[in-house]
Amino acid sequence: MADTPSPDSFDAIVVGAGPAGSAAALALARAGRSVVIIERGPFPGSKNVYGGVVYARVLDDVIPNWWEQVPVQRWVVRRSTMVMTGSQAVTVDVRTQAWGRPPYNGMTVYRADFDSWLADQAVAAGASLVTSTVATGLVRDGTGRVTGVRTDRPGGDLASRVVIACDGVNSFLAKEAGLLPKADAAHHTLGVKEVLALPAEVIEDRFGLAPGEGLDIEMIGCTRGIPGGGFLYTNRDTVNVGVVVSLTGLAASGVRPEELIADLKEHPAVAPWLRGAAVKEYGAHLIPEGGYDAMPALAADGFLVAGDAAGMTLAAGLWLEGVNFAIGAGLAAGRAAAAAIAQGDVTAAGLAGYRKALEANFVLQDHKRLRGAPQLVLSDRMQRQYVQLICDLAEQVFTVTNPEPKPGLVKLLLRGARRHKVRVRDLVRDGIETAKVFR
Amino acid sequence: MATVEFRVGARAHIVVDSDVCRSCTTKACVSACPANLFAPTSDGGILFNYEQCFECGTCYMVCNSEGAIEWTYPDGGQGVVFRHG
Amino acid sequence: MADGGQGPAPAPVGPSPVGPLVVACLDPADLRQEVDPLTGEVRADWRRADLSASDGAALEHSLRAAEAWGGTVLALAAGPPGLDPVLEQAVALGARALRVPWSDAHSGPAVDAVALAAALAAAISQAGPPALVVCGDRSPSRGIGAVPALIAHHLGAEQALGLVSLTVDQSSQVVIAERRLDGGWRERLRVRAPAVCSVEAAGVRLRRAPFAAALRSSGQPIPVAASQSGVASTGAQLRIGGPRPYRPRTKAVAPPMGGTHDRLLALTGVLVAHDPPRIVGPLGPVEAAGELLDFLDGHGYSPPSGPAQ
Ligand SMILES: Cc1cc2nc3c(=O)[nH]c(=O)nc-3n(C[C@H](O)[C@H](O)[C@H](O)COP(=O)(O)OP(=O)(O)OC[C@H]3O[C@@H](n4cnc5c(N)ncnc54)[C@H](O)[C@@H]3O)c2cc1C
Ligand code: SF4
Ligand code: SF4
Repeated sequence: MADTPSPDSFDAIVVGAGPAGSAAALALARAGRSVVIIERGPFPGSKNVYGGVVYARVLDDVIPNWWEQVPVQRWVVRRSTMVMTGSQAVTVDVRTQAWGRPPYNGMTVYRADFDSWLADQAVAAGASLVTSTVATGLVRDGTGRVTGVRTDRPGGDLASRVVIACDGVNSFLAKEAGLLPKADAAHHTLGVKEVLALPAEVIEDRFGLAPGEGLDIEMIGCTRGIPGGGFLYTNRDTVNVGVVVSLTGLAASGVRPEELIADLKEHPAVAPWLRGAAVKEYGAHLIPEGGYDAMPALAADGFLVAGDAAGMTLAAGLWLEGVNFAIGAGLAAGRAAAAAIAQGDVTAAGLAGYRKALEANFVLQDHKRLRGAPQLVLSDRMQRQYVQLICDLAEQVFTVTNPEPKPGLVKLLLRGARRHKVRVRDLVRDGIETAKVFR
Repeated sequence: MATVEFRVGARAHIVVDSDVCRSCTTKACVSACPANLFAPTSDGGILFNYEQCFECGTCYMVCNSEGAIEWTYPDGGQGVVFRHG
Repeated sequence: MADGGQGPAPAPVGPSPVGPLVVACLDPADLRQEVDPLTGEVRADWRRADLSASDGAALEHSLRAAEAWGGTVLALAAGPPGLDPVLEQAVALGARALRVPWSDAHSGPAVDAVALAAALAAAISQAGPPALVVCGDRSPSRGIGAVPALIAHHLGAEQALGLVSLTVDQSSQVVIAERRLDGGWRERLRVRAPAVCSVEAAGVRLRRAPFAAALRSSGQPIPVAASQSGVASTGAQLRIGGPRPYRPRTKAVAPPMGGTHDRLLALTGVLVAHDPPRIVGPLGPVEAAGELLDFLDGHGYSPPSGPAQ
């Protein structure tokens, strides 16, 4: 076919048809550049597991009215944050119908559907997509500049002016380029999740939802003291339940990840929601959780990194967002690469527009603002003592102790602090720290 | 595991060197692997089957000894296929 | 549609035909269909359609046969346009591709195998006289495996089904086929072309397409065979009843003999001497085979001593 670019040279090669890769290819194709996406799975999304909610406003100006075409499961109108111990739970529940109308806020969606859809958008814009192909390494010239990738297909060495690594967490390309350490357990968490089948009407009844509306719950304190948290998201006729735990904590505890999901499903606050649900899929995936301070350099000569490959998931207790950051970064990387190609300078300096664009938009600004969050949320005090403290405090405030008079809040707080060996000094300091981190 | 599709490739994409594992004190992989693929053997080594792997990367990240795990992705199109994700 | 500008009789895409025609008859399907445990309803996702292992073997055998004969491969599938990405894979491997539009090709055992085979045979004949037609021996869409035999009938070709190996004789149009028999025996058949063969996924895997070919074929329109007006549906050969709970027939079992104590002893085997399980650490293949043979020997399973070794 005449419009197929010659296979041995492209303006850009994008590795990985996840949200970052498809967004990057979309931006390049829109700029009129020849671009091929290489994906190792048989279809985009087949290798990807996440929690379940995508915040897609980032697509507003690239795919107008995206909400009319996206393969959505439910629009999230309720967000809860749950602090729990083995037998207690304190929930903060936010509901607004505004999130159920265009332009919407969050949606639940299956990755197999969403990633395929986004890749289709890139292909429709003129990008090529080759699936079932692993990029096994980088091709570099004498100066170390990246000039292409190797793939595991016969005759699979490809040349391009820019390579954009969107190959997700574990990015072997970023590792090969020397941007990421080989293994870094301290800055990664493991997410395991079950997809549980329940009829749509049952989900709507149990979670107080109208058809098409969804709920998103983030939980803390449900991981046997291993730093991490849990989540529950509603799809049309399934519910995602899972936990995210620190790799070092998990390894040291000797607890199996499935046990943590089993615990969560049996928790008295969660079990009634899931009664009678059958497991449809179990999966696992890593999350880069180092935040801003663990992010690698984002560009090298002829080479850009975007999305999870560059550690861009914002995972800090109240948030578990990565897809939106990946799309934001992918779009910026694609545009920067297109501009650099047009300028004829694809060195790291020529590609510097990428980082500038990210610093100017939410991707790096959010990460920078919340740079202290991962450490704070995963800290031992936050994970064990404060969870207990909050649950006990709430329980005692609402326990009617007649004929004793009600104790004062401060007294309860101090009593709880003493019981859980929390020093008031730490409490105050962490309070200030939290205010600073989440300011 | 029965809920997930695995297109098993002919090549083992992860190879564990049981000789290195014999001197490992943590055996962190055994409990951390979400697919439960690392089985300790009576002689202190590790028996590993690659077929039902999620390709998550947990094992090489938590591994205690350099060189015990040789980790690559399966060949294109092979390996785990998630339907929901 | 794909055949819009290509005239009344669409030519299959791919290299123009030279030499003998080898047809790979494929049945791409969702390899993991969901069955609702309550209603028995089967849900297939077209976007996940792929070749089953035996269809992959069929395509690989076709490519090898065409190479040996200097011929061309036609990859043929019946079904909706959702199958086209699978046929693109065959195009990337150098085959031509053709899709027969067929709406109920994947309705499992209820498919009208006679009509489907007639439509496939008609499409094959249209593409030219085939030297060899290779099918997978097992249908991922729960068919009953009658299609290859019916195609052979329609084409008036020889048939050899359920093969574990298939090689072609380079100099003559003869196919050497191997098939399992009971008791570990095999039979080797010499089948004259034109022939229809169905193969198991034994010993071969589909080769991978070169990158450039995969790129070129992706998104290429797959031509559609002209509709077969002559093929009249005769209705399904199998009728499927509604799902019912499984009710096995009751089986009369003789009442137990002897006292409770004796029965308990016999059931638990506590007084019977037996070897404790033994773990023989990771061994090389040779030692492991030796261990297994010794064990079988020691437990009276040694092979009958005869002239054959
Ligand atoms: C348990 C869990 C829960 C999460 N929950 C949420 C959530 O609720 N909301 C949210 O927004 N984010 C969530 N995230 C984060 C989100 O999944 C990621 O941030 C996002 O997927 C990153 O997109 P990406 O395109 O950078 O990488 P990925 O989505 O990982 O895509 C990488 C792609 O590259 C391919 N690939 C990798 N290596 C190669 C190679 N060598 N050759 C060819 N192809 C290759 C892969 O197959 C994959 O398709 C969660 C993550 C996890 C693990
Ligand atoms: S942690 Fe590493 S070295 Fe230790 S047993 Fe597991 S694979 Fe072997
Ligand atoms: S990659 Fe993940 S699933 Fe596979 S063996 Fe390692 S830890 Fe287990």
